[in-house]
Amino acid sequence: MVFRRDQDRWDSARGCAPGVWLLLVISWTITVRAAEGPAGVPTSVSRAVDFASEVRPLLAKHCFACHGEDLQEGGLRLDRKDAALKGGKQGPAIVPGKSGESRLVQFVAGANAKQIVMPPEGQRLSPEEIGVLRAWIDRGAAWPDEAPARNAKAADHWAFKRPLRPAVPAVKHTAWVSNAVDAFVLARLEAQNIGPAPEADRATLLRRLSLDLTGLPPSPEDVARFVADPAADAYERWVDRLLDSPHFGERWARHWLDLARYADSSGYEFDIPRSVWRYRDWVIGAMNRDLPFDRFVIEQIAGDLLPAASVEQTVATGFHCNAMLDPNLRWEAVLDQLNTTGTVLLGLTVGCAQCHSHKFDPLTQREYYQLYAFFDSAGISDFELATPAEKAARDVAQARVDALKKQRTEYEASLKETLVAWESGLSAEERAKLPAPAQAALSTVTTDRSPDQVSRLVTARAAGDVRHQTMCREIDERSQEVPRLPATLAMRAEPRETRLFVRGNPERPGGLVRPGVPAFLHPLAAAGRPTRLDLARWLVAPENPLVARVAVNHLWQRYFGLGLVEPVNDFGVQTPAPLHQELLDWLATEFMARGWSSKAVHRLIVCSATYRQSSHARSDLQTIDPNNRLLARQRRLRVEAEIIRDLSLSAGGLLATRLGGPSVYPYQPEGILDDRATKAAWTVSPGDDRFRRGLYTWTWRLTPHPMLSLFDAPDASMACARRDRSNTPVQALTLLNDPTFVACARGLARRVIAEAGDDPARLDRAFQICLNRSPAADEAEVLLALLREQLAELKSEGDAASQIAGPDLPGGAEVSQYAAWTVVCRALSSLDEFVTRE
Amino acid sequence: MRDDPQSFQQSRRQFFGHCGLGLAPLALASLLNEDVAASSTPAAAPGALSERLPHFAPRAKRVIFLYMVGGPSQLDLFEPKSELSKRDGQPIPESFLKGTKFAQIQEKQPRLMASPWKFARHGQCGADVSELLPHTATVVDHLSIVKTLKADDINHAFAELQMNTGWRQFGRPSMGSWVSYGLGSESRDLPGFTVLLSGMRPRSKSANYANGFLPSTFQGVPLRSAGEPILNLTSPGGFSPARQRRSIGAINVLNSKRLDVTGDAEIAARIAAYEMAFRMQTSAPELLDLGGEDGATLGMYGIADAAQPSFARNCLLARRLVERGVRFVQLFHGDWDHHSNLASGLPAQCRQTDQPSAALIKDLAARGLLDDTLVIWGGEFGRTSVAQGPKDASVGRDHNIDAFTMWLAGGGIKPGQTLGTTDELGCFATQDSFPIHDLQATILHLLGLDHKRLTYRFQGRDFRLTDVHGDVIGKLLG
Repeated sequence: MVFRRDQDRWDSARGCAPGVWLLLVISWTITVRAAEGPAGVPTSVSRAVDFASEVRPLLAKHCFACHGEDLQEGGLRLDRKDAALKGGKQGPAIVPGKSGESRLVQFVAGANAKQIVMPPEGQRLSPEEIGVLRAWIDRGAAWPDEAPARNAKAADHWAFKRPLRPAVPAVKHTAWVSNAVDAFVLARLEAQNIGPAPEADRATLLRRLSLDLTGLPPSPEDVARFVADPAADAYERWVDRLLDSPHFGERWARHWLDLARYADSSGYEFDIPRSVWRYRDWVIGAMNRDLPFDRFVIEQIAGDLLPAASVEQTVATGFHCNAMLDPNLRWEAVLDQLNTTGTVLLGLTVGCAQCHSHKFDPLTQREYYQLYAFFDSAGISDFELATPAEKAARDVAQARVDALKKQRTEYEASLKETLVAWESGLSAEERAKLPAPAQAALSTVTTDRSPDQVSRLVTARAAGDVRHQTMCREIDERSQEVPRLPATLAMRAEPRETRLFVRGNPERPGGLVRPGVPAFLHPLAAAGRPTRLDLARWLVAPENPLVARVAVNHLWQRYFGLGLVEPVNDFGVQTPAPLHQELLDWLATEFMARGWSSKAVHRLIVCSATYRQSSHARSDLQTIDPNNRLLARQRRLRVEAEIIRDLSLSAGGLLATRLGGPSVYPYQPEGILDDRATKAAWTVSPGDDRFRRGLYTWTWRLTPHPMLSLFDAPDASMACARRDRSNTPVQALTLLNDPTFVACARGLARRVIAEAGDDPARLDRAFQICLNRSPAADEAEVLLALLREQLAELKSEGDAASQIAGPDLPGGAEVSQYAAWTVVCRALSSLDEFVTRE
Repeated sequence: MRDDPQSFQQSRRQFFGHCGLGLAPLALASLLNEDVAASSTPAAAPGALSERLPHFAPRAKRVIFLYMVGGPSQLDLFEPKSELSKRDGQPIPESFLKGTKFAQIQEKQPRLMASPWKFARHGQCGADVSELLPHTATVVDHLSIVKTLKADDINHAFAELQMNTGWRQFGRPSMGSWVSYGLGSESRDLPGFTVLLSGMRPRSKSANYANGFLPSTFQGVPLRSAGEPILNLTSPGGFSPARQRRSIGAINVLNSKRLDVTGDAEIAARIAAYEMAFRMQTSAPELLDLGGEDGATLGMYGIADAAQPSFARNCLLARRLVERGVRFVQLFHGDWDHHSNLASGLPAQCRQTDQPSAALIKDLAARGLLDDTLVIWGGEFGRTSVAQGPKDASVGRDHNIDAFTMWLAGGGIKPGQTLGTTDELGCFATQDSFPIHDLQATILHLLGLDHKRLTYRFQGRDFRLTDVHGDVIGKLLG
């Protein structure tokens, strides 16, 4: 096990960087050979070559890392025309018209055996590439004047321009339109002569709405009432009711926690537990009270820096405390904070610029570190939530312990000073009882003893010293009296000088950088050195072209499976304007116009006719629009890991619906936590805490709950903008056999037996609970046949019946009946439809 | 992106006839379509793990990676250094300290330590193997022993991740996941990427066989040595196989009715997953039941008690897994991290691993499986030529990441050669230094996959196992 972290992990380039080049100090001292070119150097290709498409990429690939924007070894810079033609400290590198005399060619071809071949590490130039280089130089080294390429392209990029409020388009089929969302969708459909899908039936609608807004199913009674409600606004009233439900906050907090890479431990090998659940509860609360999104962002990025910051606002900074943390790799956490900010709020893959200026987006490496500087000047520590009186009492108790420890240290020093006397007084017997290292120390001549040996002797002496023992005991007792005050991880200002990392390597600090924002976005308003708070305000400034769009796109994808912009976390220049840009921009501007109310956007989306369409596949669109980009229907979506759990517990009548509090430990199989460097126990939570909603499950990053990972819960190593929805046999085994799911099936069986009379009625009840609908005749036939058959079998299999039915049956119950219903209920809660939002 | 339209057609055709284990339309959609966002669409129903054609003709169809957790001491196993023996106890020359980092040693100039074990040349190829590996010595003519692997991270957790995921941080897909993603599985009823653990586990735990940002369909499934071999493999009490079969039958009748109503191909995938789950419930216990193996086989692997978990048992299970079409089997065994007590610890590890590793090679060869099964042996790095700690029974060796030994066999590997040379003290490579990404590129190459084309788009970027590095090691190819 390594305790001393090695800091040399950065010798090799990180992710995006091409090749690993040692940075050697190079002198351009090479003998210029004959004009026809040095021997052994590949010949020039016999054609004209294009600088932009052939030569520049070649230089970029092999040379820019050490001779580019961020580093100019030997004073040579090859990414700019004037600098490249001027050469390095030792003179010109390129002699137009004479490739053989050009040092650039000589170096890359290894023309001089005494000189290093460029690049010194990583992929060397192929003969063909050298030929291209030579041909370019021989023909005059034409280097077209540089267009301000990056920024020009960026300025044109749709997502870097502020969203303009588009006019709501006129449509023919106005009756279908519920709100502006529909007008944008329908206009596009009408242009292609496609009709929208019919509205989903009411039961499906309410189940969909309820799962989307709260992650919990509606009760059979709710569905019955809604289906029978003739009021024109029956649906909208349900929308309001569910938006007001406290479970709305839980549901949408979990989506945000994916982005916030929330977990209850630090990650890395040691995976230390941390207390940050109050941040999770803060998110739930913020969602529930519809904290305006601009404030939601400001408080998470820099709540601690707000004037007279409240406790809550400081707790909110837990957002970036969620970064995985190894104290010896602090920069990794800072990088993650920046990259997460890019992904979650700007929809940009800024991480590429850690090692080199972004290949596609107009973000230079320097600008990346200017952003980095904001987070670099922050520290993460425990923020105590106690009252001043509680803190004072703690401080007094701690001071008592500290004083005792000081006394002990002084006493140990006196023991050390009188070692010789002690030693000479030891009997042979006493010596033999000492620990082996102490004995070894004793047998070393006094003057030759190492400090380690001396301290071992002191320890050995102290172990047998009554006064020392008493002191230790008292320290232990007093230590236990020091109250542990509630705390949560939070950020605080911790000013630092930030230097750029050359090639992304923290061991190679480059020039100083000041906190700042990229030039291709709106300027930052700040007096003096900008702070995290300035950054936070800059992010949600009305001029920011990205944040509102990215946010509404995140919301949209949860309802339709895909964002209006895909990928959801890349709004950079590689992503062309989406089909529904106008809809996106309308939503983004509406979002801001409504005071950044997320619930307003939720309401707009779920009240739209677009959202309310049937999710059934449409054979007429299978080839025209297989991915449903036109939104001419809804989509069936398998619900997330936590929601599968919530659905099952809810159906089984087991779910504890309490909100918030410390994370809980539901059942998990043995052995998951074995062999951790930081030992951890998983004691199943007492009472109904083991049946809390999935989002409250304690998350060890290194050893996550297997059911959650199996159904694609993120590993919290970085922001997760979208989960997979995988579909595997091991998942099937889990729904069928996992003890928690079996307990849910039993609970459901007991419910239906208690809540309905005969078998068909009970089956209907089970369907209503699980799927919010009645079975079709053929479906009922299948399950009633299963029931009858199982009942018959289980009557004669007493042991099996009681194992299946489980303990604690109601008095006088017929075991086989409970067992047979458990078989049926387990089948129902294993259905695709059960775990799917239709 | 996988960009081979023919293999796409192939897997589509195979879909209902031959469903692989696990069906994630998302994954396949992304294999085929620039628009990863297309994910779970009805159009892309074929099973992600149904077999897929490689980029070019493969030499290996499957892989068994014997991962030695902790970093075995190459200087005591494969690298005799007469100079080291001569200079035993002398301070390491300054020149060897340049560019060297130790993980734990604090001394400025630690002392060299000869190997206390004897070496001899073995086989036709004359490979050097120490007396600690008498069984491995008998199969050297099958092996390519590479002495100059180079890792970049001196910490176990990150070095493990580099070896197994190509990246020195958490969060990336593991090699087995990449291979499953690229090739699917031949097995109809066992996980295509199976993991077997014995002894100490890797420091970075399941991140070494996790799917990272690939769909979880591709995650390594550990066969647990205690309790159920696969989580939730066992039906609940009272559910006989017949009752389980009957239940799944009813579930799938209802699922297929819903498929008819909704037209959502995801349901077809779920139906297949339930069928396969049921088959796994039979096939996994069958796999683990070594009753059909004869005494000679058990003896060859050195399995005293077939019910007892051990590396030896896992080696035999590895053979049984590849026989059943499992694509990627990874064994983890530790702990080889001998900072101290090398003299007792290393022989103990060798006793547990030497015979079964060699038996696996012989067994695969005898069954004609070695030709297209690639076997890899090694850990995250090697150990230093200098001593750590006092020169007594407790002495050990620290980490060496600059040059360490692994061996490969079968599956298109050139047999009977030793590759790479280190300096006289075994500190650095003097000829042929192979970064981990080269090893990974080579493994993929043997499987018929171009490491530069096996990509997955995530967060706006195409990711690979080999990141932006890696060259196939031509000299390893037979």
